[in-house]
Amino acid sequence: MPTATIRPGLCRVEQIMGTAITVDLADDLPPATLRELADEVFAWMREVDARFSTYRPDSEVSRFDRGEVLLSEASAPLRFVLEACADLWGATDGFFDAYATGRLDPSGFVKGWAAQIASDRLLAAGAANHCVNAGGDVRVRGCAPTGAPWRVGIRHPWDAMATCLVLTGTDLAVATSGVYERGRHVLDPRRGAPASGLRSVTVVGPDLGVADAYATAALAMGAAGLGWLNGLDGHTHAVVTDDGRQFHSTGLPVTD
Amino acid sequence: MRRALLAITGLAASTTALVVFKGSPGATQVAQNLPTAQPVNPTPQDVDPGTGPTADPVAGAPTPSVAPSAPASAKPSKSTARPPGSPRATTKAPTAPRTTTKAPQSTTRRVTGPGVDNEYGFVQVQIVVSGNRIVDAVSLSLPSGGESDIHSDDVSSRYDGTGGEVVQKQSANVNTVSGATETSNSYKQSLRGAIEQAF
Repeated sequence: MPTATIRPGLCRVEQIMGTAITVDLADDLPPATLRELADEVFAWMREVDARFSTYRPDSEVSRFDRGEVLLSEASAPLRFVLEACADLWGATDGFFDAYATGRLDPSGFVKGWAAQIASDRLLAAGAANHCVNAGGDVRVRGCAPTGAPWRVGIRHPWDAMATCLVLTGTDLAVATSGVYERGRHVLDPRRGAPASGLRSVTVVGPDLGVADAYATAALAMGAAGLGWLNGLDGHTHAVVTDDGRQFHSTGLPVTD
Repeated sequence: MRRALLAITGLAASTTALVVFKGSPGATQVAQNLPTAQPVNPTPQDVDPGTGPTADPVAGAPTPSVAPSAPASAKPSKSTARPPGSPRATTKAPTAPRTTTKAPQSTTRRVTGPGVDNEYGFVQVQIVVSGNRIVDAVSLSLPSGGESDIHSDDVSSRYDGTGGEVVQKQSANVNTVSGATETSNSYKQSLRGAIEQAF
């Protein structure tokens, strides 16, 4: 059922991983190809959810956490994620901690990682201009349907319907961690208490899984997170503090 | 011991806040810096409780809602003593933000949902109804938790980036929005309560 479009490509949203996943394909490909590409992305996201959801008692993560699956028996994706989380634990001075809540919960890495892989696969499949947004973790490549580079807003921490910064680029991974909606869900793993000091942390870099973990870690560091972000190579950031102040790296690709 | 100290300083802070507010309603320094609360958005807009940040709604309309500091729930016992004029102090003012966001049109009304507690704090949602449409949903209270120990003066000396200014709202066109994940159940409960009362 062809519909009249005023833009090339296809944009589809599905509810997976307890959040909205948006795939925006901007390439002028045949409709059937676009649908197939989007189907593959959502199938992959559902596969990740089934494997890594901490809300599903039958997920591999839950079974691994209960000791019903040994590391040697774990699937390749689970072993990869566990290894990545261990690396990120080291890289963040222990502030990215997949065990911060007392059980294995790699969600702070998995969502971004899954979207990054989806984007990598789209690129490999010939869809070089796309945006994958997994619950606020964004991977953009190429140009938007408008023909201009993608414009990625950063949500205003006190107003869900406004943005506080707009980034632009043709190859960006943008991850934001914040305490505005779910309350203080990010724990400082050293104190076991909710982190304070920062309201919202956005990290921009080449890999969305890493950016996501860095943003979560900086949020958990509280005030010290700003200095830590400042020293990160290959990444830029934007931070809003609890008292409503905004900071960002000079290299952040901000636009009007 | 620490708890007692916090309680005492919290009491002191809240008392200070009350006194400050009585003395000069809404005239604290920070409150002036913050983007002022705007009148209710006259553009009808459907409220979709299920979705978080979506791409296009941001483009045209920065919705009014209260000033950025407002969602901070009044939790005096958790905050440490702070100088008058801090955002926390200004948010104690129970009436100031609400009266300033009062609708200019007489046809709109505001309905406040029940307060819902979760493990992080207190959540309360207010909806603005114009005729049969919900034109806005405002968080009167969201969990805000601990004290901020960041002072922009401390940061600037060793920080290579820019900033320190009060966070602003932008209404630029965007293709997508990056933000932290999604609405809490408490928010949905309070929103549902407000909708049930309104219709």
